[in-house]
Amino acid sequence: MVTMAMSVCSCNKFLNLRPQNGITSDQFWQTKEQLQGAVIGIYNGLLTGPAVNYFEWGEARADYVTPGAGVSVDETNIISTNILPTNGIVDWSAFYRIINLCNNVIDNAPGVLTRDKTLTSTVLNGYLAEAYTIRALMYFYLVRSFGDVPLTTKYLGSDNDLVQLAKSPKEVVEKQIISDLNTAEPLAVNTYGNVASDKGRVIKTTVQTIQADVYLWVDDYADCIAACDKVIGSGKYGLVPGDADWFNNLYVVGNSVEGIFELQYDAQSLNPFYSFFATTRPRYLAYINLIDNYSFDELDVNNVDIRSYDVAIHAADQSIYKYIARTPTSLRTSDASYAHWIFYRYADVLLMKAEACINAGRGQDALDLINQIRTRAHALPGTEQFPGVDDKVALTSYLVAERGREFAFEGKRWYDLLRNAKRDHFARLDLLTDAALISVPPLNVQSALSRLRDTNALYFPIPQLDINNDPNLVQNPFYK
Amino acid sequence: MRRFFTPVFYTVVILCMLSVANTYAQTAGKILLKGRIIGSKDKLPVIGATVVEQDQDKRVVNGMATNLDGEFALTVSDVNHKLVVSIIGYKTASFSIGTRRVFNITLDETSNELTEVNVVAQAQVGNGTGLNIDKRDLTTSTVTLNAKDVEDLAATSIDQAIQGRLPGVDIVSNSGDPGAGMSIKIRGTTSINGVSNPLVVVDGVPYNTSVPSNFNFATADNSQYADLLGIAPSDIATISILKDAAATAVWGSKAANGVLLLTTKRGRKGSPSIAYSFKGTSQVQPSGIPLLTGDEYSSFIPEEFMNVTGVPLNTQSAKEFEYDPLDPYYYNNYGQNTDWIAAITRKGLQLDNNLSLTGGGDKASYYASVGYTKQTGTTVGTDLARLNTRLNLDYSVSDKIHFTTFFSYSHSKTLALYGQPGDVRSTAQTKMPNSSIYEYDEYGRLTPNFFSPASNVQGQYPGTYNPVAMALAASDVTLSDRITPHFNLRYNITNTLQLNSDITFDISNGRDGSFLPQIASGRPFTETNVNRTTTSDYDTYAVLTKTSLIITPNLGDKNSFQGLVQVSSEDDRQTSQSATTSNTASSSIMDASAPARTASSGLSIGSNLLQSRTVSALINGQYKLLDRYIVNVGLRIDGDSRFGPGKRYGYFPEVSVRYRLSGEEFMKKFSDWLDDFSFRASYGHSGSAPSKPNDGNYLFYSNYLSTSTNYLGLAGLAPSTPRLDNLRWETLKSSDAGVSFVMFKNRLNVDVDFYRTRISDLLTDIDLASYTGFSDVLLNVGTLDNQGFEVFLQSTPYKSKKLNIDFAFNISNNINALRSISPYFATQTGDVTTNGNYLQVLQLNNPLGSFYGYKFKGVYKDADATVARDGSGAKIISPDGTPVQMRFNYPTTDYLFQPGDAQYEDINHDGNINYQDVVYLGNGSPKFTGGFGPTFTYKGSITLSAYFNYRLGGQVINQAKMRTSNEYSYDNQSTAVLHRWRVPGDVTDVPRALYGTGYNWLGSSRYVESSTFLRFQSITARYTFNKSVASRIKAKSLSVYFTGQNILTFTNYTGQDPEIGQGSGIYQIAVDKAVTPPLKQYTIGLSASF
Repeated sequence: MVTMAMSVCSCNKFLNLRPQNGITSDQFWQTKEQLQGAVIGIYNGLLTGPAVNYFEWGEARADYVTPGAGVSVDETNIISTNILPTNGIVDWSAFYRIINLCNNVIDNAPGVLTRDKTLTSTVLNGYLAEAYTIRALMYFYLVRSFGDVPLTTKYLGSDNDLVQLAKSPKEVVEKQIISDLNTAEPLAVNTYGNVASDKGRVIKTTVQTIQADVYLWVDDYADCIAACDKVIGSGKYGLVPGDADWFNNLYVVGNSVEGIFELQYDAQSLNPFYSFFATTRPRYLAYINLIDNYSFDELDVNNVDIRSYDVAIHAADQSIYKYIARTPTSLRTSDASYAHWIFYRYADVLLMKAEACINAGRGQDALDLINQIRTRAHALPGTEQFPGVDDKVALTSYLVAERGREFAFEGKRWYDLLRNAKRDHFARLDLLTDAALISVPPLNVQSALSRLRDTNALYFPIPQLDINNDPNLVQNPFYK
Repeated sequence: MRRFFTPVFYTVVILCMLSVANTYAQTAGKILLKGRIIGSKDKLPVIGATVVEQDQDKRVVNGMATNLDGEFALTVSDVNHKLVVSIIGYKTASFSIGTRRVFNITLDETSNELTEVNVVAQAQVGNGTGLNIDKRDLTTSTVTLNAKDVEDLAATSIDQAIQGRLPGVDIVSNSGDPGAGMSIKIRGTTSINGVSNPLVVVDGVPYNTSVPSNFNFATADNSQYADLLGIAPSDIATISILKDAAATAVWGSKAANGVLLLTTKRGRKGSPSIAYSFKGTSQVQPSGIPLLTGDEYSSFIPEEFMNVTGVPLNTQSAKEFEYDPLDPYYYNNYGQNTDWIAAITRKGLQLDNNLSLTGGGDKASYYASVGYTKQTGTTVGTDLARLNTRLNLDYSVSDKIHFTTFFSYSHSKTLALYGQPGDVRSTAQTKMPNSSIYEYDEYGRLTPNFFSPASNVQGQYPGTYNPVAMALAASDVTLSDRITPHFNLRYNITNTLQLNSDITFDISNGRDGSFLPQIASGRPFTETNVNRTTTSDYDTYAVLTKTSLIITPNLGDKNSFQGLVQVSSEDDRQTSQSATTSNTASSSIMDASAPARTASSGLSIGSNLLQSRTVSALINGQYKLLDRYIVNVGLRIDGDSRFGPGKRYGYFPEVSVRYRLSGEEFMKKFSDWLDDFSFRASYGHSGSAPSKPNDGNYLFYSNYLSTSTNYLGLAGLAPSTPRLDNLRWETLKSSDAGVSFVMFKNRLNVDVDFYRTRISDLLTDIDLASYTGFSDVLLNVGTLDNQGFEVFLQSTPYKSKKLNIDFAFNISNNINALRSISPYFATQTGDVTTNGNYLQVLQLNNPLGSFYGYKFKGVYKDADATVARDGSGAKIISPDGTPVQMRFNYPTTDYLFQPGDAQYEDINHDGNINYQDVVYLGNGSPKFTGGFGPTFTYKGSITLSAYFNYRLGGQVINQAKMRTSNEYSYDNQSTAVLHRWRVPGDVTDVPRALYGTGYNWLGSSRYVESSTFLRFQSITARYTFNKSVASRIKAKSLSVYFTGQNILTFTNYTGQDPEIGQGSGIYQIAVDKAVTPPLKQYTIGLSASF
C-alpha cells in the first residue's frame, strides 16, 4: 500500500516527457539566437516551399512556355488555361505556411527583448522588417494569382486559435500588403555587411523595390516612381554590363550588382528547376518561335540580342536555358543545380518606373528607361518601336514586349500581362488573348479564348482542399 | 532516467520482500533422520530417489538423493515438517516426522505410465487481468478459441488462424506476400485514426505490435501485425477475444479496438514429452486479370493516340511501335510478347518445423519449444525465414510462492521487394508487354542484361521500370530480433489473499536495408535513384510492470467473490536511425555503410527518439450469489504521457451482470435438457490515446525543429505543429446484452449478443485549411455509433460411438452511424469532374463508407446518340435549330461528348453531365459476415473438417479494373479493351481509347461491384494412427493431415478477390487495388509426440 501511494505521487513526474529533437514552444522565444533561427526558418520556407509556384504561376498561363515530354496533366491544363480547383498547381499552402511563420515572428519577437538583455531593438527591428516584408510578398503573390484570398495576420500557435476564415476582398489584402511594407521600410537594416546577405535577405531597398511593384499593381504611379527613385538613388545597384561575362555574372554565379532580392540556392539546397527543364524529359519547353521576339540580323549572324540564344531558349531543343546552363554550350549537372531565383533585379526597377511613367504621362522618361535596358542587351533594330510619347497604348505594348524579352522565364510574364491588361477596366484584354493564341495547343484555343474573355477566369480557383475544409470559403466566381 | 526506474524499482522491491518474508518462519535446530528405500516389487534399493524436508506450505527446506544402497541421512530443522520421497517410476510417499528418526521405506511402483495428463477442468478465461472466472460465469462478451481448433491450418500467424472463425471479428489480409499482416476489426469501425487493430495481451501482459511509425520501413504499415508472427501458432494454448467495453475496460486506454488475449502453453506434471510437428505448404497465386499481349498492345496504343490528335503516332519518335526488322535493336527489344506478371510469379512454398518439450514434477514444470519457418513467396524476390524459441518455466517454491518465467525469442529475416508492397506487381500489370525482359544488342542478339532503358514512351523510373530486374536485382531485407523475458511471482499471503507481480521487458530491434540498383531503374549515374540504398535500424525497448492483489474470500456455498486491485506501468522507448545514400559504383555494393554520395536532394540521414509512458490503477471484482446472480464491477484509471497536464488521466468504469435463469427453482424441470440458460448485460468504457507518426507522443507541445538546410550559412527553426491544448482521450462507451444457452448435455451451445457502442471525441488527423499554415493536426472530431448483433452456435447434431458430427456457425452484423462531426473536418472528398474519383460525403446519422458517382450507361454508339435528350426522350434543339450535343461539366470544362465516349446517365435531362447527375452508388461495409463448418470424427481417428466464410452486402470500387481499362495512357490494359468502341455503330460497353484526354473513366457505376461472397475457406482431413502403430516408432501419438485453404470462392465479383478491407480514415470506402490476392494453399502436416 505504501509503495502504491508512492507510485501515485510520482506519477505526474513519471508522465512528463519532452521531445528530444527540437525546442518546445514553452521554451522558445527566450534568446536572440532562437529569434534569428525563426527568421531564417522563414527564408528556408521560401527556398523549399513555393519555389515551383514562382515559376508556374508566373509563366505557365502566359505565352512563353509549351508542354514538354515530361509534362503532367495538371501542367498541361494550366498551359491551356483549363484550370480546375483540383489542379495541384493552384495549391497555395506553401505561401500560407510562410505567412504563418512571419506571423509567428511578428507576434512573438518583441517579447524576446525583455527576456534576452543582449538583444538590441535595432536588431529586433531588422528581424521584424524581414517578417513584414516577406509576409507582404507572399500576399502579393496570392492577390495577383487568386484575387480575393483569406487574410490572416495572427499566428496559429495552438488548436485554441483555429478559425475558419472567409475571403477578404483583394482591396483589403492590397491595403494590408502596403501597410506591412510601410511598417517594414523604416525598420529594415541598410546592410548585413556582406553581399550575399544583402541580396539574399531583406534590406531597406528590398522593401522599396517590392513597394514599387505593389504600387504599380494598384495603379498608384506616383508612389511607384517615388519607390523606384529611392532604389535608384541608393547607389547600390547598376546593370551588369552586356559583355561576354554577362550571363555568368547575372545568372550562373548570382549576387551581381544588379541583383536586389535573390533566393540563395546552394549545393546544400538545390533549386527544383533541373527536373523542369533538364534535357531528357523536360516538363516545360520554350515556345518554338520565341526567338522571333528578339528579331535577328540578316547580315551578321553574330549580332544577337544577348538575352536570346542560349539564355532564354536553346534553339536546338527548345529548352529553357536560364536555370540549367553553365555556359552557352554546357549544362549544369543535376547536383549543381543551384541557380538563384531572382525575385527582383535592378532592370526590373527601371522598367517598373518606365511603366509608371507611361501611365503618369511621362512618355519620354519611359522611352529613355526602356532604351537603357535595350542598349545593355544589344537589342536589335528589328525589335525597336517608335511610339509617340503620348500614345499610351503603343508605349504599353512596347514596354510589355521589352519586359518579355528582359525577364523571359523569370516568373513575371503572366503578372506583367495581367497588370497591363486589367488597367482601366480591362482596356487591354487583347494582351492576354494574343498571348493565349501563341502557346495554347490548337485544339484548345477556342475554349481558352472564351475563358480569357471572362475576366473572372483570369484568377485561379480556390484550391478544392480548402473549399472542402472551410465552409466559409466561397469558390471564385468562374469556377462555381 | 531516475523516474523511469521508479516503477521497476518498486516491483523488484516487492519481489524481494516477498521472498524474504517467507524465510522468517525458519527456526534453528538440527535433527538427523536416516533411512533406506527399497522398491515394493523387487525389494532392491532405489538409487537416486529424492528425499526432502517439506514445510506445511510444501516448500522444500532441505533435501538430498539416496546413494547406491538406497540410503540417506538428512538433517531437518523442524519436526512438524514432512519427509517426502519421490522418484520417477514410483509413487511419491510422504511421512510425518514427529519423533521418528529412522525411515525404512518401501516405495510402490506406478503401475503403468500415464500417457499424458490432461488438465482440462472447466475452461477458465477471465479478462486477462488475473481473475479466474469460469467460462460459464462470464458476464461479458468474450469468445475463446482453443489451439486445437486451428493447429491444422497453414497459418504463419495467429491472425490468419482466427480469420473468419469468431463472430464479430473481421480480419482481412493485406496481401499474400510473406510476412504481410492482417487488418483486424472487432465489431466494426471504432477508431478512425487509422489504428483499428486490437490490443494483444500475451500471458497477461500487453504485447506491442507496432514498429516505430517514423521508421523508414518500406512496409511499415503492412507489417504492423507481422510482429505477431513472433509467436509461433503452435505455442498458443488459447486465444480469447474481449469484445464489449465491460470486458475491455480493465485494459483501459489501449482497448478501444478490442482485446486479443493469448496464453501460451505451459508445462505439465509428468515425464518429459516431446512433440514434433511439421507442415509443408504449397502456395499458388490465383490467376489475375487477363492482360493484352505485346501484339495486341502495340496495335492498341497507336489507335489510342490517333483518336486524340487525328494523326497517326509517329513511329520515328516512338520507336517502341516501329516494328522495323531493319532496326534490330528496337525490333527485338520492343517486339516481344512478355507476360510480366508470369515473369515475377512463382509457386510458393512454406515449411514449418516445431519441436517442443514439456514435462514437470511437483516443484517445477516446463514447456520449451523451438520452431523454424521458411517461406518462399509467390512473387519472385519475396521470402521469409523465422526462428522462434520459447521457454515457459513454472516453479513452486512452496504452496505459497510460485514463480513463472516466460522467455521468448524470435529472429526473422524478411525479403521484400523494393518500394511499397504491391508496387512491383502493379507495375508489372501496366508495363508495356511488347518490351523484352533481357536486352537484345544492336545486332539482335539476346544479352544477359536486363532491358532497363532510361526512359521510353511509358516514362521513366519511378513510373515505369523493368519489374523482373526490380524483383531480382533490387532488394529490401529486414532482419529483426525480439526478446521478451517475462517474470511472474505469485504469493499466497493467506488462503484468500494472493499477490501477483509481473515484470516484462520487451526488446526488439531490427535492421532494414533496401537497395535500388542502376540495372533496375535504368537512370543515368548523375541521379540519386541510381544504386540508391537506405539502411535503417530501429530499437524498441519496453518495460511493463504489473502488481495485483487478488482476494477470494471463502463466503460459503451460496455466494462467492473475487476482487482485484492492480497498479501497472509501461515505459516505451523507440529509437531509430536511417541513412540514404546513392551512386555507388556498382549495382552490387548494396549497403549504406559503403562510402557513397550523401548530400543531395532526397538523400538523408535521420535519427529519432520517441518515448511514452503510462501508469494505471485498476479495481475489479466479481460477485456470485446462489450460482444465479453474477455481477462484475471495475474501474481503471490511466495516466498517459501523451496528453498535456489536465487532460492526462482517463477513467474507464465497467459493470456487467449475468443472470442464470436455469438456476432458478422453477426451471429445474427443464434441467434434463437445458444445461444453462443465462442473460448477460454489460456497460463499460474504454479509450484510445493519440497515435501519429514522428511527434505523435508529444502533440501537446508545439515543437520547433531545425530546417533541413541552411540559408546563407545560418540554421533555421520552424514549428512543426501547433500546440494541441484540447487533445483528450477518445472514449468508447459500449453496452451489450446477450443470451447464452447450453442444451442437450453440452451438445448445443448458443450465444447471442446485441451491442451498441458510442465512440466520442473521435481522434483523427484532419486536414486544415491551408491558410492556417499547417497541413494537418490531430483533433477530437466527432461521435460515431456502432450497433449490431452476433450469433455464435456450436452443436453436435449427431453422436454415436463411431461417428461424431460437430457443426459451428456464426453470423454478425454491424451498422455504424456518424452522430456529430467537427466543423473543421472536411465533410466531402473526391472530385467528380476528374477521372477516377468518387464523391464521398459525411452525413450525420448515416453510415460511413458511402460513395457517389455517375451512372454508367454504356458507350455513345454514334453521333446521333450524343445528342442531348429531355425527359421524354426527345432531342433538345437549340434556338437556331441545331441539336444540342451532350456536354461535360459546362461551363468550366465544357467537353462535348463524341461517339465512342462513355455515356453517363443525365439524371436531370439538361444535356450537361455534372455534379447534379451524381447518384448514390454503394457502401463499403458488409451487412453480414461470418462463417460455418462441420467436423466429422470417425472412430476418433479420422477427422474431416471444413470451414466456409462469407460476407453479404457491401460494394467495392474495383480500382484494378479501372486502371486496366481506362485506355488513357501507355499502360497495358486488360483484354476487356479488345471489345472497345472503334467505329460509329459499334455497340459495346467499353469506350474508345483516348490518350490522356476525355472523360471515359469518371467515378461511375461501371467500376462498382458487390462484394458478397461465400468462400470455401478450408478443408482438413486428419488421420490419427492408433496406439499400436504409433508405438512401433516409439511414439505416444502420431497423426498426419492434409489441409486445403482458400479453395473456392462463389461470387459475382469480377476482380481478383472480393474480400477487400475498408480503407482507413473516416470515409472508409472499400477499394480493390489488386495487390497479391490471398493465395491458394495446400498443406501436408505431421505431428507426433514421444
